[in-house]
Amino acid sequence: MQVKGLAAGLAVAAGLTFPSLAMAESPTIKAIQDRGTLLCSGHNGSYFGFVEVNDKNEWKGLDIDLCRAMTTALLGDPDKSKIVPLSWAQRFPALQSGDVDVIIKATGWTMGRDTELGLQFSIPYFFGGAQFMAHGDLGITEAKDLAGGTICVEAGTTIERIAANYLQSLGVEHTMVSYEKASELRAAYLANRCDSFVAWGPFLAVLRATEMENPDAHVILNDQLSNEPISAAMRQGDEDFVDFTNWMLAALLIAEEEGITSENVEEMAANPPNPKIARLLGAEPGMGERLGIRDTWAKEMIAAVGNYGEIYHRNLGDNSPYKLERGLNNLWSHGGVLYAPQLD
Amino acid sequence: MADAVLNKKFDWEKFRRRSFTTPTDSIITVVVFAGLTWLVWQALSWGVFHAVWSADNVEECGHGGACWSVIDARHRLILFGLYPYDEHWRSALACLSIIGTVIISCFPWTWTAKRLSTLWIVGFATYFLLMEGSLLGLPQVTTDQWGGLALTLFLFSSVVLIGMPMGLGLALMRRSEMPVVRGFASLVIDTIRSLPLLTTLFTAAVVIPILLPSWLEGDKIWRVIIAFGLFFACYQAEVLRGGFQAITKGQFEAGKALGLTYWQILGRIVLPQVFRHALPATVNNVVVTFKETAIVIIIGFFDVLASANAAFGTGEWAPYYIEVLAFVAAIYWVFLFGLGQYGEYLKRRMKVAER
Repeated sequence: MQVKGLAAGLAVAAGLTFPSLAMAESPTIKAIQDRGTLLCSGHNGSYFGFVEVNDKNEWKGLDIDLCRAMTTALLGDPDKSKIVPLSWAQRFPALQSGDVDVIIKATGWTMGRDTELGLQFSIPYFFGGAQFMAHGDLGITEAKDLAGGTICVEAGTTIERIAANYLQSLGVEHTMVSYEKASELRAAYLANRCDSFVAWGPFLAVLRATEMENPDAHVILNDQLSNEPISAAMRQGDEDFVDFTNWMLAALLIAEEEGITSENVEEMAANPPNPKIARLLGAEPGMGERLGIRDTWAKEMIAAVGNYGEIYHRNLGDNSPYKLERGLNNLWSHGGVLYAPQLD
Repeated sequence: MADAVLNKKFDWEKFRRRSFTTPTDSIITVVVFAGLTWLVWQALSWGVFHAVWSADNVEECGHGGACWSVIDARHRLILFGLYPYDEHWRSALACLSIIGTVIISCFPWTWTAKRLSTLWIVGFATYFLLMEGSLLGLPQVTTDQWGGLALTLFLFSSVVLIGMPMGLGLALMRRSEMPVVRGFASLVIDTIRSLPLLTTLFTAAVVIPILLPSWLEGDKIWRVIIAFGLFFACYQAEVLRGGFQAITKGQFEAGKALGLTYWQILGRIVLPQVFRHALPATVNNVVVTFKETAIVIIIGFFDVLASANAAFGTGEWAPYYIEVLAFVAAIYWVFLFGLGQYGEYLKRRMKVAER
């Protein structure tokens, strides 16, 4: 109740104080700039690939890199971010009470969170859903090959229903064996009790990379059974901050699309090959003014953390221990579902 | 118990009589002994003989032995959490200052109000100044970056330090002859004891900032310590109440008849006996509190267990979680076993009064 009331109050206040200005003036961004630090969500422990702590006790991961990107865009220095450790249960109250400015924490965009919790979500920056993993020596390459086989699944999850549904629609005969716990499931799969098992894709990939003696002996099938969009969450009532977050994520995607990397960004900014890149990197004015920040924010951001592809490969892909395929999380032009709104 | 066995010469005759009188006895003895030997052998074989010790040869891990490389590489994360890497020496010294304070205050010589309070103020100030740093001219490290064993020790000792006097106060209020005071204490104690610790801490950490204006909020760590301290105090008050009940009314009356004031009776006659009676339950409460500090993980504190989770929460170290948890268990064991043994020592010492 309190949370809702507060959010509603903020919404009203923002509406009254900032009637549709041509130039953005976000109270959240102003507060961040006055403070000189961006407060992001961390985790009370680790969440593989997304939020981790390295040997030097520093945060790393896909979500952390996005926070650092946002910090660079707003404050010009990735190290001005401050990661506040939060549990899963604590993240939304912490956002409402102002302990953090934004939640970038493998958080799915759901209707309940969007409406009842009084949050606003950015465009999705990651997609994950149920996938199959199978023993490689069975020669299975897609879900159709699972016909006549045994599939292990965690009991009572939505994944169980989704998998049954998916296989039925493909007309694949199968036997489903359910286990109470993820650890039992893993043990059963390793003991060859089932040919394949079905779980959240990134979780499977991490499992394969870290807990299988020979990761290459297991394949994760490309079939995506379901799909959950992962977005950044913000407090309701500051549309300009949402705009900024969306364009920050978009800039990372556009940079990848246009082949701008942390290595060549300075060169690209000096001799922009096309007007779009010139605008993106601030060689031509306009990029910053519309969001109420510096024109060169995207250039500095890409120089500091790289484009989306670089961030992905560093934390989940080829340059990480997980070697997670891009799959859905590739640009639309490469078979994925990630795309940026049009930069004009 | 342990030293009693060690001090005596081993009595083979008694051992034979107890363990090998009948064939059944002999079989049970042999089987149990063999089983235990096998277990110990397994543990040693895993943890010592086949173990890999250094982070440099981590590629040798995963062949049936423990991989202590993970401790070698990540122990600073487990001990100091997210504290800035280059400032870890401060965290280590701060830990030593708290441990030192606790050890010194275990000696009977310090047991006067003046000495104890000086010691604890100095110990705590040392800890805080080192950890926070800005007053000593070191780089400032705010409380949200504190973590690991350093944070666990700090939480534990401040909770006990705040909770002990509060518990005594509540116990005295509950014995008061004024109905309002008595009723208030009962209400507080029973309310807090009816709430799970988790909700109490969650309220302090998460809900209060939403309710209160920001200038009244204070630092999250202090809100949590005060809430935790109050929780501890309520249980401690009930423990002490048990101690009070063991003292006959005659002692108060005798004290009054001698013309002593309320505080003199309390301080010189009643409380020493109350503490003696309440000692086992108090040690229990303290030990449980040490272990319960791990609950703060849920409100985003990086205590020793949360740091341990983070320590094996990366791709390289994920398979070696058992080693990390064993290491943390060993840390807990060292502290709690020490506490328990000290409780035994106190009990023996206080028996002097009964002779």
